[in-house]
Amino acid sequence: MSANLPLVQAEFNPGEAVGAPTRRERRGLGLLPITKVALRGLSTNLVRSLLTTLGIVIGVASVVSLTSVGAGVTADITANLESLGTNLLTISGASGGRTSGLVRTGSSQSVTLEDAEAILDLNDPRIAGIAPSVAATVALKFGAENVSASVTGTWPDFEGVRNSEPEFGTFFSDLDWRGSNRVIVLGATVASTLFGNAESAIGMDVRVDGVAFTVVGVLPVKGDGFNSLDDAALVPITTFLKRIQGPSSVGSTSLQAIYVAAADADVIDAVQVDLESLLAVRHGTLDPESYDFQIMNQADTLESLNSVTRTLTLFLGAVAGISLLVGGIGIMNIMLVSVTERTREIGLRKALGAKPRDILGQFLTESVLLSVGGGLLGIALGLGLALGVMPRFGMNAVPTSSSIVVAFAFAAVVGVFFGFYPAQRAARLDPVASLRYE
Amino acid sequence: MTAPVLSLHEVSKSYPLADGAFHALRDVRFDVHEGEMVALMGPSGSGKSTLMNVLGLLDRPSDGRYVLRGRDVAELSESERADVRNAEIGFVFQAFHLLPRFSLLENVEVPMVYAGVPGPERRARAMHLLERVGLADKATSLPSRISGGQKQRAAVARALAMEPALLLADEPTGNLDSQTGHEIMALFHDLNAEGSTLIIVTHEVDIAEQTGRQIHLLDGVVERDERGAPIVPEPVRVRLRAARSVAA
Repeated sequence: MSANLPLVQAEFNPGEAVGAPTRRERRGLGLLPITKVALRGLSTNLVRSLLTTLGIVIGVASVVSLTSVGAGVTADITANLESLGTNLLTISGASGGRTSGLVRTGSSQSVTLEDAEAILDLNDPRIAGIAPSVAATVALKFGAENVSASVTGTWPDFEGVRNSEPEFGTFFSDLDWRGSNRVIVLGATVASTLFGNAESAIGMDVRVDGVAFTVVGVLPVKGDGFNSLDDAALVPITTFLKRIQGPSSVGSTSLQAIYVAAADADVIDAVQVDLESLLAVRHGTLDPESYDFQIMNQADTLESLNSVTRTLTLFLGAVAGISLLVGGIGIMNIMLVSVTERTREIGLRKALGAKPRDILGQFLTESVLLSVGGGLLGIALGLGLALGVMPRFGMNAVPTSSSIVVAFAFAAVVGVFFGFYPAQRAARLDPVASLRYE
Repeated sequence: MTAPVLSLHEVSKSYPLADGAFHALRDVRFDVHEGEMVALMGPSGSGKSTLMNVLGLLDRPSDGRYVLRGRDVAELSESERADVRNAEIGFVFQAFHLLPRFSLLENVEVPMVYAGVPGPERRARAMHLLERVGLADKATSLPSRISGGQKQRAAVARALAMEPALLLADEPTGNLDSQTGHEIMALFHDLNAEGSTLIIVTHEVDIAEQTGRQIHLLDGVVERDERGAPIVPEPVRVRLRAARSVAA
């Protein structure tokens, strides 16, 4: 028998009680809810998510820290060159053929003191100063203290040309030069090593290769760098040739370099051209291809050094970029696994009204969160390396905002790019098959 | 008679095979009116799953028309069908299909999220629906912390979220013991009494008997479409009365 139930209308009716649900036209789920859902998805497998981002973390950290080092090196070099004065031309020997690389000093010792004198004889008003330079590494001694220094013979003009006004005392004078006087100007490190206190060195005698020289000046601290004079000592070139240069090279007047200071930055190029033709005639080669000397101005030097560091930075960036790419592939891999694991969730969400683009958005958001999260961690790590660790190893790292922005943007793009394929696969899943997926 | 909630016109579904085609559904036609409780029956392979997928807009018929609340939905795009599923269909699955790491409240909210229902309203409605199925005290519980019967009731609350035209239950008691099965059936009767239209896909005769109409499928064809007075077993009636007295 069938019993018709006394089916009274119940008190409850969701429609009456709360009103019909407010449907809203929507273009997507909205950033906040979709991020929440994605974070929930990622936190389910926290360890896996963290490991997945590791590739991006390392990639971004290396981009940020390595480019910081690159920028630090560039900054050092630029500061160094600028400390030399900007109107400087450096003439040095070159073993034939044009060199496009770094400054090469004394590669073939083909520039001589006579060349420097010839330049001086020009009496060119555009030339503010000329300083030949010949150097030897010699032991300096004061009392029990002993130090090895690069002793450079030059003219008094060196002071102005190479921006080396002594901090204490004076530079040696024209008289000292003409008289081959045994006077010496010490670099800051040399002075402090020998005398403890740089100021107390003035007037004292140091033994250079056994010969007593009177200290007339001490240069200020210039810091590390390839042009630093901290570990050098300067003597009149006349004295150098007589007293310091070994007997084997007696009579030789070859130089490491001749420094020429132009009176004004505007005339550098013209002076350079004139010096080039003068030396070409003197060295008997008119073919630029076979010049045995080279003239570099500061701009050239800066440019060639910068091109090296630029290449280096680019190279570092490329290596870091590759690791970002690898990180991206890791994300894609994990997202593909995730889509497979969550096939039933995808099927269910579709049954409940998720559109393909909702599913696409959900998974794309997950991969972007992974890569962006990795990017942020990587920036923190990279800055930590650049500012905390690198200086301990004597590297000057200058983090650049552009590298941070680029690395972060690249990480985000990696997330979208490598997240798209898995997300699209999720979006295209057939709801019937996915609901049944075990 | 009022316009039917849904009507199928010569609906067919076939899958291409190497040698010809497999016809999962052939020329299926019937109407379901508002407030009806229908059992869809048939042995496995009869096409009842396929029919359920078509009715739920999870699958598209190869041929024929499917009119749901006066709108032909057979030819809609994937995205449009998602909207119709969201608004008009409430699914109840044999395996419950609750999102495992979301609370019951959040699970009930999911369809409303996709409908763009504003957050506060969404939560209020979800809470209300959980109260309706007697799970108010479990709103913040995870599905793993509750019994099968409670899971299925949460799933029913979720199915009701958008006030669908049709509740589509696929073997809703299949994973439950008989006692909790009775509970769920009592809930369905209650909802039906309130005016919900239900289609229950089942192969259990005593479930099917509780409905006023049984559609039997065999080899993809509607074999019988019977109407009769529902036979509600005593345990279900007891639970129904109990639920009513609590509500009152």
